[in-house]
Amino acid sequence: MAAPFLEVKHVSKSYFEAGKEFKVLETVGFELAERDFVCIVGPSGCGKSTLLRIIVGLDTPTAGSVRFEGKPLVPENPQVAMVFQSFALFPWLTVEQNVELGLEARHDPPERRHAQARKFIDAVGLAGFENAFPRELSGGMKQRVGIARALAVEPLLLCMDEPFSSLDALTAQSLRDEILQLWSTPDLPPKAVLMVTHSIEEAVYMADRVIVLSNRPGRVVAELEIDLPRPRNRKEPEFFGWVDEIYSLIV
Amino acid sequence: MDLHSITKVSFSQVVALARAVDEHGGQADVARIAEDVEMELDGIGPIVAAAEFLGVVTVEDGDLRLTDFGRKLIKASVKERKAMLREFMKDLPVFRYVIQLIETSARPASRQDVIDALAVHFGSHSAEDLFRALVYWGRASELIAYDSRSELLTLRTPGVPMPPAH
Amino acid sequence: MVARKRLRWVGLVLIALGVSFAIAFPDSARQAATLPLLASFSLGRMAAAYLLALVFAIAYGTTMALSKRAAVVMLPLLDVLQSVPILGFFPAALVFFVATFQGHPAGLEIAVIFLIFTSMAWNMAFGVYESITTIPKDLEDAARVFALGDWLRFRRLVFPAMVPKLVYNSMLSWSNGWFFLVASEIFTAFGATYARPGLGAFIADRGDAGDVAGILIGVGVLAAVVLTLDALIWRPLSIWSERFRIDTTGTGQPVPRVSGVYERLAWLPRFTRLRQWLGSRVRPLMERYSRLATRFDRATSAHRQVMRAIRWIDLGMFLAIFVVVVGSGLAGLSTLLLKPLPAAAYTIPEATLRSFSRLALAYAVSLAWTIPAAVVIARNPRASRVLTPVIEVSASIPATALLPLILGFAIAIAPSQGTGTELAAFLIALFAMQWYLLFNLIAGVRAIPGDLDEAARAFGLRGLAYWRRLLVPAMIPSLLTGSITAWGAGWNALVVSEYIRFGGVRPYTVTGLGSLIDIATFDVPDSEVLLLSILTMVLVVLAMNKLLWRPLFKRAIKRYRLEG
Repeated sequence: MAAPFLEVKHVSKSYFEAGKEFKVLETVGFELAERDFVCIVGPSGCGKSTLLRIIVGLDTPTAGSVRFEGKPLVPENPQVAMVFQSFALFPWLTVEQNVELGLEARHDPPERRHAQARKFIDAVGLAGFENAFPRELSGGMKQRVGIARALAVEPLLLCMDEPFSSLDALTAQSLRDEILQLWSTPDLPPKAVLMVTHSIEEAVYMADRVIVLSNRPGRVVAELEIDLPRPRNRKEPEFFGWVDEIYSLIV
Repeated sequence: MDLHSITKVSFSQVVALARAVDEHGGQADVARIAEDVEMELDGIGPIVAAAEFLGVVTVEDGDLRLTDFGRKLIKASVKERKAMLREFMKDLPVFRYVIQLIETSARPASRQDVIDALAVHFGSHSAEDLFRALVYWGRASELIAYDSRSELLTLRTPGVPMPPAH
Repeated sequence: MVARKRLRWVGLVLIALGVSFAIAFPDSARQAATLPLLASFSLGRMAAAYLLALVFAIAYGTTMALSKRAAVVMLPLLDVLQSVPILGFFPAALVFFVATFQGHPAGLEIAVIFLIFTSMAWNMAFGVYESITTIPKDLEDAARVFALGDWLRFRRLVFPAMVPKLVYNSMLSWSNGWFFLVASEIFTAFGATYARPGLGAFIADRGDAGDVAGILIGVGVLAAVVLTLDALIWRPLSIWSERFRIDTTGTGQPVPRVSGVYERLAWLPRFTRLRQWLGSRVRPLMERYSRLATRFDRATSAHRQVMRAIRWIDLGMFLAIFVVVVGSGLAGLSTLLLKPLPAAAYTIPEATLRSFSRLALAYAVSLAWTIPAAVVIARNPRASRVLTPVIEVSASIPATALLPLILGFAIAIAPSQGTGTELAAFLIALFAMQWYLLFNLIAGVRAIPGDLDEAARAFGLRGLAYWRRLLVPAMIPSLLTGSITAWGAGWNALVVSEYIRFGGVRPYTVTGLGSLIDIATFDVPDSEVLLLSILTMVLVVLAMNKLLWRPLFKRAIKRYRLEG
């Protein structure tokens, strides 16, 4: 059998402060296959963001391992890209320069960088804003830049850390739809998406599979296959059924 | 009504509002929509005003009604939306005026040139706000390109990527 | 538009004044013909020192911020260097360089540049360090996730992050530098006068000759050079540097184009056309540069080992120098302590007290006029329009350049030479201190949010209550910032203000730490007294910073910070 696309195995994470141990994650494990859109939900402080940071290589686990395409994960893995809750755009770079960041790090020649950046700026609907600074953009547009920057490096795995929680509800909803639209476009790069959120509705709306973490220390409580047809309607009773079930798992 | 009603609103908010109205069958009370999208009334107010200005909805006694234009907007792709926005924007007096200004000026029009011109034509106290709105909607509709580094405005041929300016 | 018209007027008036001046005082005018050349010499020294300081500051600050181990040593050292009144070392350093080069002009040049460097470097290095350590974590994360190599990370993240503080501190450093330049271009030691051609030397020379017109021309040209630099370099740079400011409010709302933070110098022309023209020239170069940079990126990541080695060699060299300097300093100190104290050492406490009271008086007078002035300028647009240019022109003149004028004035109005010198020492301290207070206070009053002010007025706060409840609390953080800088400048000025030598055999001196240092260097060389005096000054300044200003500042930040 081929190795799973992403394999998170018995990952634990503790912080030590003044000789005391604070457990954040305890033996978390799950797998991601190609074409998976997975959401991790859990109450705030359950370590879900820490888990994501470990997966992208920003943090190291106290125990356990993360394997990507069967190989142990190297930090600064170019095949994993990330979208940040706070956007994390460089304020002194234009939209285009921000999107080119990962390509520059790969030493792509300027022409290729421009072409690639334009393609993804276009894909997230920001054509026309190439030469704008982030401060000129609304929150929703900033996050589009963040998404374009992540997609531009053509990652195999796209990780998103609460990508919509800094946005107003209206903007967040239209961005969710656009991400799903992008995801359904087969020629766009990522083979799998892993998203962390505290909103159960958001997870049910977007994911093929939801991984539910418990309160601190975070453990996997359940893995649920959301089999609702797309596009999903948040007003339907089946939708509420899923939301209620996850609620009861967490509380 | 002029561009001022849309200075603080983004295009995607307008589209999202239209979609929210559509979910209620194309007609809904502003308060219902506000509750639906979890926004305060004073947060949604400018978005409604902008949507009305762009002809996406009509407002009557606090009731929002989706127009045909609005319906088309929801169904359109990102590219088609931009084209629709362009059609609308290019006939606005402010845009006509500035586009003409850029076309006729011998050198690239600078931020200060355009603000000075706007101040003469549309009053000086709000020229900066107006300029900001002009840049935002000019970029969104791909009618006008503005390089924030050099602070120069140029016309943009839609769909054709700008030459890289580094 | 209006500003440009007014500027034309000002220009015309200046030219007319200049012409009539030349007709009235032909001798001085002939002297003045050499001034552009002299100005370019002085400017060259400043530029050389600044470039050195810039390279030093970036290297030092970056190393300190990136290596925790290095920071353990480098941070306290910089802290001391920054609070030490550099002018205390000034006489000793001059003598050292002159002696080493045996009076050769090159030695003098190096001495002058070195001194200006020491007045410029520390605050810039600190700014670099602060900027790097306050880079938001999410940007660091993004740089790691997208695998930015060392050089690219510096180019895209670290360097841009340091730009605002670097520009701001550069402006500060330049005004510090002018102060030192004027003081160091000419000096007398061991009965000989050493001078390098420059504006500072010119002014001092005219002072010796008692040529008031000449002094005025020299000071005028100096002010013009400073202001031209402001208009052509610092103002555009500070507008540009706004682009690199990190918005920490982080709200989703679009933020309007930044403006108004650098209201200083706002009345200077902006030269929009010139900037545009320059921009169109520079852009193709940038394109070339971006290609080169890509190649360089690739090269550096291919040779990471080499880059790391370079950094370690760099650090090693610094440590070596550091060990030598500290070692020799300690050795000197131990020999000093092993011997009985020289008799002159017992005058140090009294001298310290006198210097301190002089500065305290100058500080009090500065406060007395700058607080009301700041409120008027910040609140009244018309007063601001009229006064701001006047104040900034006056502030652009380093106190050292005014020395001959101040001395002449003080001696003219004082009944005896003793009081005259005392008055001069006080006035120089005042001129060195007051501007820092004024500019910080104006910024403090301007930062009061409009709604807070309206609320205060709506609740009927008026007169004294308005001052007590709103203005004073709102001013306190900026008052403290201004006070720290002002006192630093005051200590620095001591060496210049307490011992003034003009032509004559006998210098004008008053009792104080500054004059002790000068006398021990120039008149009766005595390395022990010199070392002890400098040590005392360093200790007093450090004690004031650590025991007075820092705690006050921390408390003020907690209590009076205006949450924006």
